[in-house]
Amino acid sequence: MEYSLFSKPRDLFIDIVNPKDYVQIDSVSHMYQSLKTSVQKPLKMILLYGRPGTGKSMLLHKLHHDLSKHQKVCMIDIPVIDEDDFLRVLAHKIYSYASRESLSLTNFLELSAAVNYPVIPIVLLDEAQLYSSSLMEKIRLISDARALKFVITLHKTDNEDIIAKEHFQTRIWESIELQNASYEELKIYIQKKLLKANCFDVANMINDKNIKLINKLTRGNYRDSNKLMFALFSLYAWYEEHNPSKIKYNALNKKWIEMAAIHTGLIRA
Amino acid sequence: MLDVSKLERRWLKYKIKSMLPYAGFLTVIIILGFTIPLLLSTSTSSHSSIKKENVKKLKAPLPPLSKNDENSMILEPSMQFLQSMNVPSPSLEKESISSIPVSTVPSKISISQPKIETAVPPPIVKPIQTPVQKGNLTSIKRDDTTFDIHELEERFKNNSNPNLGLYIARYHYDHGNYTESYNYALKTNAINSTIEESWLIFTKSLVKLGKEDQAKKTLQLYISNSNSQNAKNYLDTLGKESHK
Ligand SMILES: Nc1ncnc2c1ncn2[C@@H]1O[C@H](COP(=O)(O)OP(=O)(O)OP(=O)(O)O)[C@@H](O)[C@H]1O
Ligand SMILES: [Mg+2]
Repeated sequence: MEYSLFSKPRDLFIDIVNPKDYVQIDSVSHMYQSLKTSVQKPLKMILLYGRPGTGKSMLLHKLHHDLSKHQKVCMIDIPVIDEDDFLRVLAHKIYSYASRESLSLTNFLELSAAVNYPVIPIVLLDEAQLYSSSLMEKIRLISDARALKFVITLHKTDNEDIIAKEHFQTRIWESIELQNASYEELKIYIQKKLLKANCFDVANMINDKNIKLINKLTRGNYRDSNKLMFALFSLYAWYEEHNPSKIKYNALNKKWIEMAAIHTGLIRA
Repeated sequence: MLDVSKLERRWLKYKIKSMLPYAGFLTVIIILGFTIPLLLSTSTSSHSSIKKENVKKLKAPLPPLSKNDENSMILEPSMQFLQSMNVPSPSLEKESISSIPVSTVPSKISISQPKIETAVPPPIVKPIQTPVQKGNLTSIKRDDTTFDIHELEERFKNNSNPNLGLYIARYHYDHGNYTESYNYALKTNAINSTIEESWLIFTKSLVKLGKEDQAKKTLQLYISNSNSQNAKNYLDTLGKESHK
């Protein structure tokens, strides 16, 4: 495609998780701060939960990025659901212990005692709803033995309340719930993303009414908002190429926002 | 990739669908509006006064319906007003680039800048629409803690991008910091004297700071250079208000 004013803002909203793109949002940074202090507490396990697209993975990656400067941190963003594999992967990643055979829990704890890091290493597990109860129990035992600290994220869905599951009920869990953005937060999210990338002219186009509509359509969900903005700027890029006279630079086009919402399935039409 | 024409069709379908309930309601009212007078006109003339009342009552439910949009607009900060005025036509702007004696406009105005900074204490702005202002105040607080405008100002110092200057001016105007919006609009105008919105923010800030005469002069100057319809409109509203 040709160069377009809108291709850069469009690509800002590709739905990927990269801690470099982290945007500071009030409520999220509060959570992030409390997360950082919780991580230093002994024996606690930390649970980040919330609906899909509320930024759990983003927060986890940000934590990984920041903590790894100071201590041993290990991110498992693609779940290792096989129980035998799990300990082997951890042993390899944290203690650089390569083994073909699977490790027993006792072996693993011995290994950790032998290596003995000055600060307890932290393991970040994304998408932990995929782990079985027995594996979660093993994770708890490792945490109890002070071998490792765990921060895990969980999907919250309508039909299954995972938090209510037994193994998360115990008091060792410190849970933090992530939510959709409010109107103000969404405004800040979108504007900051654009300004960070020097897209001032496009940032100037977005008025409060536009944000209100976007917020109404996406209910402040970050992933949905990303998809919507991506589709919207794709439309702008298309019009820029094929029918530039239709583009008004003083506000985002309400019709195009709705068209983008239809394209992404936020509006059923 | 994107099938825009198909998307346009789907959008039209969606719009029609979402308008249907309103359209249905409207047709019912229109039909009633026609049939009731007809029915009543066949009866005796003594009923005619009742007839009129009936029609009025029937029409009463209409306004709340169409007001839906206006209700949501009330919440808009005052910038909305400016945006609604601002319909830039790119061709016009390009023309004015060549026609404006760039040096005269900014320099004339910048003379007055120190005056304002010394003479004007932190501006006391009379809230025009009190209920709305109150609502805005709380959000301003949140904004300030989260949105680092100073970082943007720092960047503006380094890159002098007029679009960024406009963004900052707009931000400050939205938040009621009219001295700041004045300053940044001024700087923006100095970098690029053809941005209509920046001139409007500049003059509106002047008005908010109690310098209405200066605002008018600036507007006249800008109009003579740019022929901006929005600026003319704004000048007109200023004229009307001062006559009251
Ligand atoms: N604070 C933030 N700064 C920048 N981008 C964010 C932020 N929060 C969320 N996002 C973006 O929103 C999108 C969705 O976030 P994320 O993938 O973290 O959601 P999630 O809660 O992990 O969803 P799921 O439960 O489906 O895994 C991502 O593209 C991410 O880049
Ligand atoms: Mg995730």
